[in-house]
Amino acid sequence: MSTTASSAPSPSSPSIPTTGSFHGLSDVRLVGRQVWYEQLSFWLNPLGAFFTLGFSTIFLILLGAIAGNSKIGSGYGAVKLTQYYLASFTAYAIMAACFTVLASTLVNRREMGLLKRLRLSPVPTWSLLSAIFLSTMIVALLQVGILLGVGTLGFGDHLPPQGLAFILAIVVGMFSFTALGIGMSTLVPNPDAAGPMISIVFFLLLAFSGLYFPIKPGSTLANISGYFPVRHLITALLASFNLPPGANPWAWHDLLVMAIWGVAGVVVALRRWRWAPRRG
Amino acid sequence: MPAVSVRNLAKSYGEMQAVRDVSFDVEKGEVFALLGPNGAGKTTTIEILEGFRDRSGGEVETLGVDPANRSTQRWLRTRIGVVLQELAVEPYYSVRQVLNRNAGYYPNPRPVDEVIDLIGLREKRDDRVKTLSGGQQRRLDVGLGIIGNPELLFLDEPTTGLDPSGRRDTWDLIRQLTSLGTTVMLTTHYMDEVEALADRVAVLNNAEIVAAGTPTSIGGRDSSEVTIRFLLPDGTTVSDLPVTVDSLEQGLVEIRTRDELQLLHELTGWALERKLALTGLSVVRVSLEDVYLNLTRDAMEPSEKAVK
Repeated sequence: MSTTASSAPSPSSPSIPTTGSFHGLSDVRLVGRQVWYEQLSFWLNPLGAFFTLGFSTIFLILLGAIAGNSKIGSGYGAVKLTQYYLASFTAYAIMAACFTVLASTLVNRREMGLLKRLRLSPVPTWSLLSAIFLSTMIVALLQVGILLGVGTLGFGDHLPPQGLAFILAIVVGMFSFTALGIGMSTLVPNPDAAGPMISIVFFLLLAFSGLYFPIKPGSTLANISGYFPVRHLITALLASFNLPPGANPWAWHDLLVMAIWGVAGVVVALRRWRWAPRRG
Repeated sequence: MPAVSVRNLAKSYGEMQAVRDVSFDVEKGEVFALLGPNGAGKTTTIEILEGFRDRSGGEVETLGVDPANRSTQRWLRTRIGVVLQELAVEPYYSVRQVLNRNAGYYPNPRPVDEVIDLIGLREKRDDRVKTLSGGQQRRLDVGLGIIGNPELLFLDEPTTGLDPSGRRDTWDLIRQLTSLGTTVMLTTHYMDEVEALADRVAVLNNAEIVAAGTPTSIGGRDSSEVTIRFLLPDGTTVSDLPVTVDSLEQGLVEIRTRDELQLLHELTGWALERKLALTGLSVVRVSLEDVYLNLTRDAMEPSEKAVK
């Protein structure tokens, strides 16, 4: 029933500006501004920032201290174990920031209604979401910088001889795991399930992908873990450090597998993404 | 032109009809409430008006444009404010920081300090969101809804989960906004909220509007029977009274009438003449809650609903 006498809605005013003539902040400036606020939010929670940034560093220091001057052995010859850890924990830092932290962040924000509020703001949602992803990548890169500092200054490890190969592996890794983090967030129904679901997936993959010890190429473990992207980020970063000795630093195969996983993450995200809380 | 115009709105999810043949207008400057039980279609309706959700059928205009039209959606969102059911505020920012951030999303935002004063958080402006009480967080949430200086504010169950003082604070804030000319459309399932705030109300039940009007007249409230009660004066009997009594229990007289003015005139005249007291005299009109419960009582038997 109507509450008032029916009258046809009047046609839209021709003076109403459309998307192209919106006069607000430019979208690119807005991304920069939003990244700043994302970073502010991150640093305003010092405990969260410490554990996000410090976890991989603490692990590297502990394992490095235990390893001392031990050599890897087998196919790696006289390479120090700490050099291996530097590469593998760099991979871990990227995966932790771009996959686990991002996925949890997105689930929390969706269920709190924050994503819905973003969607209802007048600025394009791509710019606000890009800021979340860019901020995540900044945190990942900070971790990588800290790890490189600890590895070289603390344990005498060397920097990757092929810097560009190292950067490429990091860029592809960040893209792949960011996409997988977004995809994962769409599979998690609520914040209570986020921790267990994301951690189980992540740590299972880490456990048999060579984070703590080298995996012999061609072994059953290597074959199984070869299907998943975690192993490929580790091996791509190891390759950029010329590990095992003589390895081609441009690990195209590993990069390709990661990229395919990244695309899969994007497909899942596009199909399942939602702005509103699932309970809403 | 009304702020919101809805004609025969329909929304379905597969077989399930979430909104069916809903029509109403919201005039500029008024507070319009959608009242209904959970799952009645209130949030779906409001989300369609905001442009958050697409409709399956019908005609909708929000501030003169179709909210589903992508080419004007961005413009529309500079002119509307939205407060969600959830307390959607990040915990680590200060009040001022989060308002400053959102002000940057709009071409002509309200000054941040003005909003802080409006929402009564001047003393808390540099405090972290997570340290605020539930009522204060809700006020900040409303502040985020009005930071863009909206003509039209959508409030989806704005006081759900708040304690009584938090609810009163939010009501005061909404009254302030309407006094500044903001049109408000709210959903709620609280009768007192409707009575305190709304100029007009529509009751949604099972995806349909089952009644609409002002809070005082909806469901025939203004023309329904009133109940008059008082204690029978000592030394009198029911047969002494100048009016017909409906019931007498433990000395309490109850009379139902549609002409309370005439009946009270006769009754008080009789008592004054005899110098008798009508102890506990009360005149009770059917409450909005009674009307609402009647309207939403039985979804399976719509013919029994008292849509008046």
